[in-house]
Amino acid sequence: MSITITNLRKYYGKSAAVDDFTLEIPSATVFGLLGPNGAGKTTTFKCMLGLARPTSGRILYDGKPLMPATFEQIAYVPERSVLYDWMTVEEHVEMNRRAFAKFSPARAFELLETFNVERQKRARALSKGMRTAVMVAMAFARNAEILVLDEPTGGLDPVNQRHVLSLMINEAAKGNSIIFSSHQIGQVERAAENIAVMDRGRLVLEGLVDDLKADRKIVEGIFPDVTFTLDGIANDPRVARSDRTERIVRLLVTGGAADIASRLSSAGAMAVRVLDLNLEDIFLYAVSPANATTDVVVRESSS
Amino acid sequence: MNYVEWLRVRNLLRTTAIILAILVVLAVILRISVSRYMSPDAWVAHMSLDPGTKVTHTVLPGGTKRTTILDPSEPSTVVIDDHGYSGKHIVITEPTSRAHKEQQAHNIGIGSIQVHESRHGSLTTTVIDTNGSVPMLYYMALADVVALIVATILAAPLAREIDGHLEIALTRPCSRVRYALEVIGADAVGILAASVMTIAAFYLVQLLFESARLDFSGINARAIAMGVTLPLAWYALLCAATTWLNRSYGAVLGFAWPVTILIGALTLIPPGNVVALFVHDVAWVLSRLNPLTYVSFASPNDNGTLDYTGAHFALRLSIEVLMFVVYGAIAILKWQRVEA
Amino acid sequence: MPAILTVDPRSGVPIYLQIIEQIKRSIALGVLQVGEQLPTVKQLAIDLTVNPNTVARAYRDLERDQVIETAPGRGSFVRANGLTESPRVAVEIGRDALDLALREAKAVGLTQSEIRELFEAALARWFGDFKK
Repeated sequence: MSITITNLRKYYGKSAAVDDFTLEIPSATVFGLLGPNGAGKTTTFKCMLGLARPTSGRILYDGKPLMPATFEQIAYVPERSVLYDWMTVEEHVEMNRRAFAKFSPARAFELLETFNVERQKRARALSKGMRTAVMVAMAFARNAEILVLDEPTGGLDPVNQRHVLSLMINEAAKGNSIIFSSHQIGQVERAAENIAVMDRGRLVLEGLVDDLKADRKIVEGIFPDVTFTLDGIANDPRVARSDRTERIVRLLVTGGAADIASRLSSAGAMAVRVLDLNLEDIFLYAVSPANATTDVVVRESSS
Repeated sequence: MNYVEWLRVRNLLRTTAIILAILVVLAVILRISVSRYMSPDAWVAHMSLDPGTKVTHTVLPGGTKRTTILDPSEPSTVVIDDHGYSGKHIVITEPTSRAHKEQQAHNIGIGSIQVHESRHGSLTTTVIDTNGSVPMLYYMALADVVALIVATILAAPLAREIDGHLEIALTRPCSRVRYALEVIGADAVGILAASVMTIAAFYLVQLLFESARLDFSGINARAIAMGVTLPLAWYALLCAATTWLNRSYGAVLGFAWPVTILIGALTLIPPGNVVALFVHDVAWVLSRLNPLTYVSFASPNDNGTLDYTGAHFALRLSIEVLMFVVYGAIAILKWQRVEA
Repeated sequence: MPAILTVDPRSGVPIYLQIIEQIKRSIALGVLQVGEQLPTVKQLAIDLTVNPNTVARAYRDLERDQVIETAPGRGSFVRANGLTESPRVAVEIGRDALDLALREAKAVGLTQSEIRELFEAALARWFGDFKK
């Protein structure tokens, strides 16, 4: 099931949590939604799931608006714990069994055991990580076509974080979609096929992870002295940003790194390197103001 | 029926059962302590111990068995008319003793037993009627007390969901309206179950002491109809109030009773001046919104019975039903629009 | 298949390229034989904990470059041609390493003859009896 978000706007009072956000999420994909805190990711999820009413804009599932029946195919793990404090874990499983046709209690208990959650415990007796684990287990036992996960590893120790990641990969292998937001860029890099980056309610970047990594590079040139000019090169549409410190210039390019590198050479650079950017770098560049410099871990490009 | 709400109801019914059990024990103790009015055979045995007591058994025309006990030493007379299933009529004439009350005349009615004491001179006559049947009115009154308490505890189910569980409640393959109806349905079943449990408990108490017939006639049928709808209407009112007010639903529920009583009291203000008139009128209007206003635990009639009758009963009952529906709809309306 | 494939998601190199490169390297080093079956896309994705479509893309590219062949229903296998790839891959790897070394050496100001001296010494070390 594909999801099409068109010109989504959500205002709380005068401030826009989401501002003119358009995104197409294809079916059978793992889609990562990144953004700084307060960027509007959770609000976007809420609008997608009918938990908040958009101020304007449309969200369609396979071309149709959200209906109660659509929820048979959507499982949601919210950011905060929404378990019923006074109910036991087992009672939560039963509740899900009655509410959803394709829910598998056996699978739920299997997953709960993987996370080391005791079935008899009441939700109020569980730690934050355990509660996240319960919500994750319930969602993955649903066999739903789409899983919407808002920070699914919140409060989890690294072992359990790996479990969640493996679960996500398994779901993807089954052909289900996962849309998730996470601050764990490493997880996003592994699991996500597509990503979108939000900042202050707007979409600032989207694309396939592999393509973004292949195209976005830093081209670094070291010049013999400080008297060099770059005019033509800096104006190239593929150069998103240029930082110049004494004899070193670093250009952030969105494609054509090799070409830009050779132009730097022609402009007189004595050493030119093309540096790779990982997803964290790409993300940081996307959300930071245009003229700020950010620290980039220097990695030689081998592609 | 909604599973989560059903669990809440079940837990509450369990607690109610325990409390009812305690009340039943207390009721049994109470019944035993007034049993000196209750067992003619025991009396006969007791009194015939005195020397000189004469016991006579006759059968009156019509089948009534009459036992007469004369004790010349006190002197005291006991006449027991046993009408069989229709109950017993006992007249005791004895010298006034410390066991009797101070007043000239004294009445006690407990369930199916009516006791009337009157003093004349140095003698006291006690007339005991056990007609063997209990008006459902009494049972419904007890049941309603419990049902209203249960209704207040269960009320605010939607407010509870709004308080942190919307992400679960609203992401179901189930329309919002249907979800709300299932939740309210579970609570309604719980409230009715509490009424039934209460009636069953006290019926049990009665059975321990005598054969119990239930009188469903006349005002009793009306009492049942009103007794069923009143707690539901009260529940619906609290649902509407808590779902709309963005305040702690616990506080709303807790203050519901005192506020109701206060408004009721304010309607009794005599309209002495403009301010008093204003307060009285406002309170009067507000009290029209309260389901409890339409149940008159009314003034007794001349012959001592309570009056639920009148052409207005049908109207009042309809108002209760209407309140249940309207307040429920108001709660569901807010639920439809709520955002997580 | 032994776990000789590892991927570094934090690297700037797209994961599918890393997988392609490592499979080619495995073939070049003889760790993967001709006709040997590769893990399924799903299995490799789970083993490496990466997105299955990333693995699928790598396999597609390898297939396009005729390094592997996929028989529907049976799996993916190393092609005979894969062997002809291997000397080329080895040469590529070698050339890249030398380029890197020379660039660094030149950048710090060593002359050609100084570099040649260091190179002979290194050769003797690596292909001799490992005496410093």
